[in-house]
Amino acid sequence: MSDRDPRAGLESATERAWSAAAEATWRRCRALVRLARLIVPREQRDAWEDEWLGELYYRLASLDGAGLLDAGARRDLVARTLGALPHALWVRRSEWRLDMLMQDLAFAARVNWKRPAFSLLVIATLGIGIGANSAMFSIVNAVLIRPLPFPHSDRLIYAFGAFRGGDQAAISMPDFLDYRARSRAFDSFAGRTPFGTVVLSSGDDPERVIAPRVTANFFKTLGVRPLYGRDFLAGEEEGEHKVVVLSYGLWQRRFAADPRVVGTTTSIDGEPHTIVGVMPDVLGDIFPDQLWLPVPFHIDETSVRRFHMLRGLGRLRDGVTIAQAQADLDVIARQLEAVYPENATWRLRILSYRDYIVGDSSQVLLILLGAVGLVLLVACGNVASLMLARATSRQSEIAVRTALGASRTRIVRQLLTESVLLAAAAAAFGLLLAIGLVHGVHAFAGSLLPRTAEVRVDSTAVLFTVAIALLTGIVFGLVPALHASGRDLATAMRAVGRATGAGRTLRLRDALVVAQVALSLVLLAGAGLLLRSFWLVQHVEPGFDPRGVISARITLPNNRYRTHDVIERFWTEFLQRVQAIPGVENAAATTMLPLAGGGDTYYYLEGQPPASDADKRNAQVNVSTDDYFTTMRIPIIEGRPLGAIDRTLGNDSVGHGTIVISHGMAERLFPRGSAVGSRLVVDLGKPFHAEIVGVAGDVHAFGQNAESPDILYLSSHQSGSFSNGRFMSLAVRGHGDKLQLAAPIRRVLHDMEPGVPLANLASMNDLLHDALATSAFRTRLLTAFAAIALLLAIVGLYGVLAFTVTQRTREIGVRIALGARDRAVLALVIGRGMRLVALGILLGALGAVAAVRLLQGMVFQVSTLDPLVFAMVIGLLVVGGLAACLVPARRATRISPIAALRQE
Amino acid sequence: MSDARPLSPAAVSVLQAIAGGIRHGFDIMDRTTLPSGTVYPILGRLERAGFVRSRWEAATVAQREKRPPRRYYEISAAGTRALAISVEHYRTLGGGGRGTPRLNPKPQRS
Repeated sequence: MSDRDPRAGLESATERAWSAAAEATWRRCRALVRLARLIVPREQRDAWEDEWLGELYYRLASLDGAGLLDAGARRDLVARTLGALPHALWVRRSEWRLDMLMQDLAFAARVNWKRPAFSLLVIATLGIGIGANSAMFSIVNAVLIRPLPFPHSDRLIYAFGAFRGGDQAAISMPDFLDYRARSRAFDSFAGRTPFGTVVLSSGDDPERVIAPRVTANFFKTLGVRPLYGRDFLAGEEEGEHKVVVLSYGLWQRRFAADPRVVGTTTSIDGEPHTIVGVMPDVLGDIFPDQLWLPVPFHIDETSVRRFHMLRGLGRLRDGVTIAQAQADLDVIARQLEAVYPENATWRLRILSYRDYIVGDSSQVLLILLGAVGLVLLVACGNVASLMLARATSRQSEIAVRTALGASRTRIVRQLLTESVLLAAAAAAFGLLLAIGLVHGVHAFAGSLLPRTAEVRVDSTAVLFTVAIALLTGIVFGLVPALHASGRDLATAMRAVGRATGAGRTLRLRDALVVAQVALSLVLLAGAGLLLRSFWLVQHVEPGFDPRGVISARITLPNNRYRTHDVIERFWTEFLQRVQAIPGVENAAATTMLPLAGGGDTYYYLEGQPPASDADKRNAQVNVSTDDYFTTMRIPIIEGRPLGAIDRTLGNDSVGHGTIVISHGMAERLFPRGSAVGSRLVVDLGKPFHAEIVGVAGDVHAFGQNAESPDILYLSSHQSGSFSNGRFMSLAVRGHGDKLQLAAPIRRVLHDMEPGVPLANLASMNDLLHDALATSAFRTRLLTAFAAIALLLAIVGLYGVLAFTVTQRTREIGVRIALGARDRAVLALVIGRGMRLVALGILLGALGAVAAVRLLQGMVFQVSTLDPLVFAMVIGLLVVGGLAACLVPARRATRISPIAALRQE
Repeated sequence: MSDARPLSPAAVSVLQAIAGGIRHGFDIMDRTTLPSGTVYPILGRLERAGFVRSRWEAATVAQREKRPPRRYYEISAAGTRALAISVEHYRTLGGGGRGTPRLNPKPQRS
């Protein structure tokens, strides 16, 4: 190419005169070529560009000169110039030597195929790491990262009441209307009752379904249109309208997915309601609701500012931040406070709806994601160690190839291809595993995490998996590759035929083992803490005897059960008939069954009304029938339980009666004397003056992992003003299992009230168990992760030691020949292994002390630095480490000195 | 790209054009009616395989005509052999093996 001097030619050429059309075409084509030129590798750019411009210029000039440069010719020329782009790409790509890559790949596949045990071990180890990570990421993505499935969901907020001494409270209906009318921060502001169930009886199979009441703009606020029919009209918020909107799930299940149900009537709590619409499936991802009824504003019970029943759901106006909206609401709160004294210290607080849905599960999930990340690290450590061992055993091969002229890059690339290929196989395996795990999440954790319906292995998770796989492939491939190829050729050649001189590799593998042990310790410490906490919590005395007790909810229809007398008559007869069932010991009804929610109110010692709201005390209210304490076997520590006698001792209409309080409360209120005989004033809508007649044992009513609350026990005979008894939980102690007992109870109920279902049937043991389900879920998951990490670390340690013994066969043989005893040889190998374990434990303990702080709030009854847990975890690692040492150590003792020496 | 393996049909037509005395990239495109994005990579491959050689025309010629110099391609001996083998390969495929081998394909005139 020495005869080429294109620059000179080009410069002088451009002075040449040609038509304006030719000049314009020339400029366009030249611009294209110069753009494509950037793709071409630097050292070829000039020649590449000159060839194109030379041809273009020649063609343009000859066409122009011959008068043939019409529009078609110009277009063809530009089209042909577009080919410069694929040409440039081809030049660039061929620099990468595609054929060489294929060669590498084929070779890598062959190498991996020839060592199936090695390859399978790598694929399984890495696949488990990748699979667990992908599954965990899929969950985190669905729950934490992906926006809610509603349009502009970032503008959706959740609103709740907050006041001095209370948070997360509901909003009263009059307050809600005031806020909705006055706030300028929202496009729309809707309300929904957080609880509420009704009995649906289309056909003769009554069923209790979740049926919150919502404001008419609820669906519009979410941005969801009905699938069929309509949503509620603004007019349906006023007074009571018998209309209902069905959820997709209920419509599918109970109404055979028939669009013609819109306009028909169905029976809800015994009254006909018109079905006006069916909502799409998307609501089911977020809300458990099965049907919706309109909020009845401006009727008697909903006009009281002290009755709080709504939670807010708002859509912020475009550009309004949560802080701005909060400021707006605070102004309204002060305005309302000035007008309504009962609103003192009351305000509306808002947070983004997504944060509300996700709640504190974000912390748990991120910790689990971190934990599973550590598992992947340990897995990578193992694989890297395996690769190092293999690179060492292939030193001769590599040395020969280097001697034959292979460059270092070429060898590194070859080894890298092998590891990336394995990583790709591991990714495929891991992805399958992730799909299986995500199925498992649907089955096990459906009710424990928000938004699990949305969890699936999606494209983001796949990308995440591929990214992990590539990164892992490169990381665990690069280090051994550089390591193996970076050796001095002469040394390597001398080592051909002998597999010695692996010192540097071993040091690296030692470091990997130390890191693995350290990471495992962090995970084990976390899992150990959760396990111990879980074990302790499970053994917390719940304060009642759950064995043999079954429970169910019974809600009496309000059209026939209007007065306290009618309701009490029902319960008296019903409980008598239940008690008569063979196998039933006791039966009672209560408004506050342990583990099934509660409700609280204010109280004060008679004669000592609180000076301000800040001094108000509250306690849970439990209204029960006579045999409640006997049925639940809640001990009466002092005084007497409530009973039939209290029917005559109370006078509901003047508001005085008798009461039993819980032990902790009694201790606090009356530290120096007996509670019995003292008097309290309880706010039951109106003041209720009560004499304390007994003190009951504390009950962990909100689960064994929560403090036992203060409880005020009231007799159902006296509490008509607070609870009319339409909503009660039934508790029955008896022999036999839940279903055996339930059948006759259901028959009794059917005899007395055919339309009322026995809902939420569960044994108390089930409820106790369910209350700990979230805790059990995370404990199990973290334990599984820790177990995998421990296993991998042990395998890693074993690998290193086995390799060491092979490497040092000759040395050990000589030692044995010189009279070393078995014990000395064992000590040599085990000592080396345990030194690594000890160092790992030391580093891991430091890491664990820092890491377990994240578990605060998840462990109960035990400190995060519980010495027992740490001791056990360290013990476990020591035992595991010894187990890993044992086999290689025993093999070392069996080395025959003669065979070892003959190796030379 | 070894001698034994036949070239792709597109490469054969490019090589045939060069063997026929067509020397410049754009002219080869005209002759083969293949797009530029195909012809140039083929030329690159043929050159790398040693089947064609490329040269730049003398700067003096270009200067005389007041234009940048052009690159031109010539077939090599190896290229002639490869072309023959490939042509033979496609002929036997097409003619069921009855074709007469022609080891020295005559350049087709343009």
